[in-house]
Amino acid sequence: MNGIVKQIDGGRLFLEITKEIYEKEAIIASADKFIDKFYINIDSISQDKFRVYFQPKEKIENNLLEGAILEFCNELIDQQLRTNIEKKFGNIRDLIVEQAFSPLKKK
Amino acid sequence: MGQPYCLLPFKFERFEDKFFVVNEVGEFNFLNPDEFVNLINYKLDKNSSTFLNLKAKQLLTDTDLEPVIEMLATKYRTKKSFLRDFTSLHMVVPTLRCNSKCIYCQVSSKDSKDERYDMDKITAQRIVETIFCSPSSTTKIEFQGGEPLLRFDLVSYIIEYANLLNLKYKKNLQFVICTNLSLIDENQLTFFNKYNVLISTSLDGHKELHEKNRPLRNLNNGHDIFIEKLALVRKMLGINKISALMTTTKDSLSLLPKIIDEYITNGFHSIFIRMLNPYGLAAQHNSVFGYGVDEFFDAYKKALDYIVQLNLKGQFFVEEFARLLLTRILTPFSTGFVDFQSPAGVGISGVIYNYNGNVYVSDEGRMLAAMGDDKFLMGNVNSNTYEEIFHSDFLQKLLKHSCLECLPVCSYCPYQSYCGADPVRNYVEQGDIIGNRFISKVCQKNKMIIGHVLKLIKNGGEDVNEVFWSWITNRSLEEIKNGGHQ
Repeated sequence: MNGIVKQIDGGRLFLEITKEIYEKEAIIASADKFIDKFYINIDSISQDKFRVYFQPKEKIENNLLEGAILEFCNELIDQQLRTNIEKKFGNIRDLIVEQAFSPLKKK
Repeated sequence: MGQPYCLLPFKFERFEDKFFVVNEVGEFNFLNPDEFVNLINYKLDKNSSTFLNLKAKQLLTDTDLEPVIEMLATKYRTKKSFLRDFTSLHMVVPTLRCNSKCIYCQVSSKDSKDERYDMDKITAQRIVETIFCSPSSTTKIEFQGGEPLLRFDLVSYIIEYANLLNLKYKKNLQFVICTNLSLIDENQLTFFNKYNVLISTSLDGHKELHEKNRPLRNLNNGHDIFIEKLALVRKMLGINKISALMTTTKDSLSLLPKIIDEYITNGFHSIFIRMLNPYGLAAQHNSVFGYGVDEFFDAYKKALDYIVQLNLKGQFFVEEFARLLLTRILTPFSTGFVDFQSPAGVGISGVIYNYNGNVYVSDEGRMLAAMGDDKFLMGNVNSNTYEEIFHSDFLQKLLKHSCLECLPVCSYCPYQSYCGADPVRNYVEQGDIIGNRFISKVCQKNKMIIGHVLKLIKNGGEDVNEVFWSWITNRSLEEIKNGGHQ
């Protein structure tokens, strides 16, 4: 294991994710992308850490397994970025849609 | 605002060596990674072409926000204007009987002599009256089957009764009949000419493939009959009153260029390359003529390339799914498409009336019912009012769960404004009208094709983009090259 992906007794692999950087929404959105290949369990293990467990649905070699979990890490960055930028303009989207479907202004 | 500019709502994904960024109305740009990082960290140079491009496409602004929001709202309203009219496509099944025996029949058609599956006249009358309750200013009545010409008497009754009611309602009334052409004759065509009825037919390819896929029940020369009747239709109605659809089986995948040639030989100007839908015999015999998404996508890409090359050689010919996507990607116009829009068109854009008066949210809902599952039944014209059928909690719930803007994964998908929801297909594939995108074949297929079309726009150069604009505007490549002048 490379230090990012860890292993516990019984061979289950997991990641630890810092809450200061990543939010629950981003972790769940990332996990969703991997549920066709893995059974995934997300746990809050302390005030500042999430733990995400991965169990492959089919037997795969360890290096491929680790690679897939590292892909999860990259997906997590994109999802957190989406969450961050959404906060910058989410309210503007609401205004656009509200205005698009509001009755025309009377002159 | 505290920052040199304000970001406007956008979605993004990594796209080859770039970032694809797209706003709420589908206007997009490809950014280098450093440009993307600068964009989100408010470090773009306001004099750079990147900044000015993003500003022009309303992905950011450094001016007053209110007029920009108004402009985006107007574009959003335009994109969604297919919602204004409520249900305009009304499909009617006069009979489930059919004189074809297509190997993939998705509608579970019945033997051509089994009259138990014919509509009665009272039901036909009530269907027309229900159709005219719709607030839509445009009404298109499309006859589906079975083979509707087995009950030409009912077809003509519905057309004449609809025209009679329209003296009062004054809608833009249109008719389409979907037929294999084999039974069509001069009397029927004279009637269709009188009421301006368009013909939609099926052509699966050259003689061998067409007759293998779509054999007639009692005759062996279906393709010859098709060609003969096609000529008769064109002679009596005109060249452009008939269009054709193709169903893609496993056999078709490697033959798409030959099928395209067959369409051109027979005077058609477009083809719609669609994946086989998993209903009826297509579902039962999926292992025989079904295929995977990857196989379909590979064949689609090659076929699209073949079609583009034909256009570059001077043959105007369109792939219809690509045209739909290109119109969504490159223009501000509205393109409703019943099973590929958001919210889905189920019930609110299109609806189907079965031979027994049952009303389903879509043709696929009716196909599923024929397999024994009435999940998408809205009511029956003989026992329910228009309000009971169209204002039901069921339909509202279905629509609520078919807005991409609110669906898991679709809500942040950068292709959202080009794509559509299909709750019926989700239910068939996954037993759930929302479904999981990462195991959805439809989602996989749509994302692959949208991504491919974007790649062609990005990397295809001026020639390919001119072909695409000729499709969108329905003009020859020569006109496009000459700036719109011949």
